Amino acid sequence: MNGPASTVDAILDQHRPARSQEPNILRTLLAVQDAVGYVPLEKVGRIARSLGVTESDIAGVISYYPDVRTGPRGRHIIRICMGESCIANHCDRILHELQQQLRVDVGETMPGNRFTIEKVFCMGNCPVGPTLLIDDDLYGRVTSSQVTELLDKYR
Amino acid sequence: MEQVTPADESTGTNPRQGKVVRLYLSNDTSSRTAGTARLAEAWIEQSDLQIVRTSSRGAFFLEPMVERDMPEGRMAWFNVTSSDLPRIRAGEGGVYVRDISFLNRQSRSTYENFGITEPLAPDAYQARGGFQGLQAALTMSTDAIIEEIKISRLRGRGGAAFPSWNKWQIARQTGADHKYVVVNADEGDAGTYCDRMIMEGDPFRLLEGILICARAVGADQAFVYCRHEYPAAARTLRIAIQKLDQAGLLEIDGQPFSIEVISGAGAYVCGEETALLESIEGHRGDVRVKPPYPAVSGLYGRPTVVSNVLTFAIVPGILARGGAWHASMGTEHSRGTVVLQLGGRVKQPGIVEVPFGLTLREVLDQFGGGMAPGSRFKAVQVGGPLGSLFPESQLDIPICYHAFAEAGAILGHGGIVVYDHETDMLELARHFMAFATTESCGKCTPCRIGSIRSRELLERIQAGQGTQEDLDLLFDLGDTMKAASLCAFGGRAPYPVLTAIDHFPAEFHSKLRQ
Repeated sequence: MNGPASTVDAILDQHRPARSQEPNILRTLLAVQDAVGYVPLEKVGRIARSLGVTESDIAGVISYYPDVRTGPRGRHIIRICMGESCIANHCDRILHELQQQLRVDVGETMPGNRFTIEKVFCMGNCPVGPTLLIDDDLYGRVTSSQVTELLDKYR
Repeated sequence: MEQVTPADESTGTNPRQGKVVRLYLSNDTSSRTAGTARLAEAWIEQSDLQIVRTSSRGAFFLEPMVERDMPEGRMAWFNVTSSDLPRIRAGEGGVYVRDISFLNRQSRSTYENFGITEPLAPDAYQARGGFQGLQAALTMSTDAIIEEIKISRLRGRGGAAFPSWNKWQIARQTGADHKYVVVNADEGDAGTYCDRMIMEGDPFRLLEGILICARAVGADQAFVYCRHEYPAAARTLRIAIQKLDQAGLLEIDGQPFSIEVISGAGAYVCGEETALLESIEGHRGDVRVKPPYPAVSGLYGRPTVVSNVLTFAIVPGILARGGAWHASMGTEHSRGTVVLQLGGRVKQPGIVEVPFGLTLREVLDQFGGGMAPGSRFKAVQVGGPLGSLFPESQLDIPICYHAFAEAGAILGHGGIVVYDHETDMLELARHFMAFATTESCGKCTPCRIGSIRSRELLERIQAGQGTQEDLDLLFDLGDTMKAASLCAFGGRAPYPVLTAIDHFPAEFHSKLRQ
């Protein structure tokens, strides 16, 4: 089992651009995130040197993409769809119920790290919305009365 | 409410010998969440059942839907639960698929295989006419291919509706050491899912379209930029590419051709073609100034054809049946079929492929089937989060590029979302601007600042602190964003907000401080 430091090193080796090739910052950051869970800010300098770009280049890409994270999240991630079709189907009521039960706001992680709630602008599941994605499990036609039962599956 | 865990899309069908009943269940993500995943899991162990996982018919209000072969064709059972199995086994109580009016009123061509074939079976695709377009293209000159696309009068289906042949021609005529085909699978418009359905349900059609385009323009590599929210689509597509390679079809004129699927990272603006190219290169998805257009200088500065999934998926049919066939459908300026995705508070959400030209009212009546129980119509939004709102009085607009452009609206990617009487228009308008604020790439000032100030004005009105001047300012800001933004995102972002105020003024004025 490699430690996080050597994991990041191995990824940086893989993503170091060959001569005449341009570095791909986003692919590199997503690979680091896949391995570590997020992009540790203290690694930004190392990543920049390895790719031959500036630290601000890296920071610019990190801040641009919602899916690139710089810190750990909860054990379970609840992503609620806030696309127009789900809004039309009153997904605000689901969000309200989630916030009531978990006492945590969108973008925040519960004390004890059980859940993080995030908003997504459409998951393409519109014909059977409202839609929730909990970790890798997608739920359609969700009603607010089902929220308790749903959350109980994720400890 | 149904849970769906990721399944292996390469299988799903259980091999069975002897006397069995073969049942067809959709493996599409939305069908799975509606219940087909749970039913298939429960039934796959039954020794007298063969479970075949197909694409979806797109009649999602009927899902979970189960079909089986009967003497006169496929029969379907709607909104199935496990207790329906005895009826299905006995062949009782079903409806012939050809009698489902939601489906038989449509003119399916690009979606003709949906609900019928297994997505990852190249043989099934071929048996239904697949790869005929590619075979035709391989015997034609590149000029002849582009001429056929020109005759078809195909326009890009991603939103901008640019004539496809023109893009191809420019990319072909521009000299370069490499040329690329890039598929925009960043289907970010809320309320749209037709690209996802193609990637999950008929991936070889998309790949065939890519190969035809690549041969016409002389490209040696293709990228599919698939949004992160579509994991099943990316997985299915990667397997389909492998299968195409195994079948020896992943080459052009004897040269190996590569198609790579790249996942996005959650940014809406990466659906704008130049931002998408920046993102493939690994940079911030900031919009580039055009010209030069991607067909001249795109990915890594090379000529690149960028089109969305649906556009590429229409191409094989054109090459197989001829450009004149495609041009024979639709209206003067909008040829072929339009793929509409019904969602929101409509009774019958699902996918509708019809020739351009039906009115919005006809689509909602004939296919939408009215409002969901307990709901009354308030407004409909066409074209995603940048699309205009239409009240009841404006539903007679024909669905085609020309009529929508004249009305200052967009068809976009064909998303149709119906809002009911309980929708708070002020809150909806605030949501649109909050979306614009979050997703603006920040490169140009009108969009970056205009969206934030607009959102603040709407929040002030919501808080009861707004005045008539604030509303006037909102229109002023909107005009500036429309006129001066660098790309269509900033240029279109004010439309849903301003049309909400235009059509439902009382909801805004009643909140103003006198």
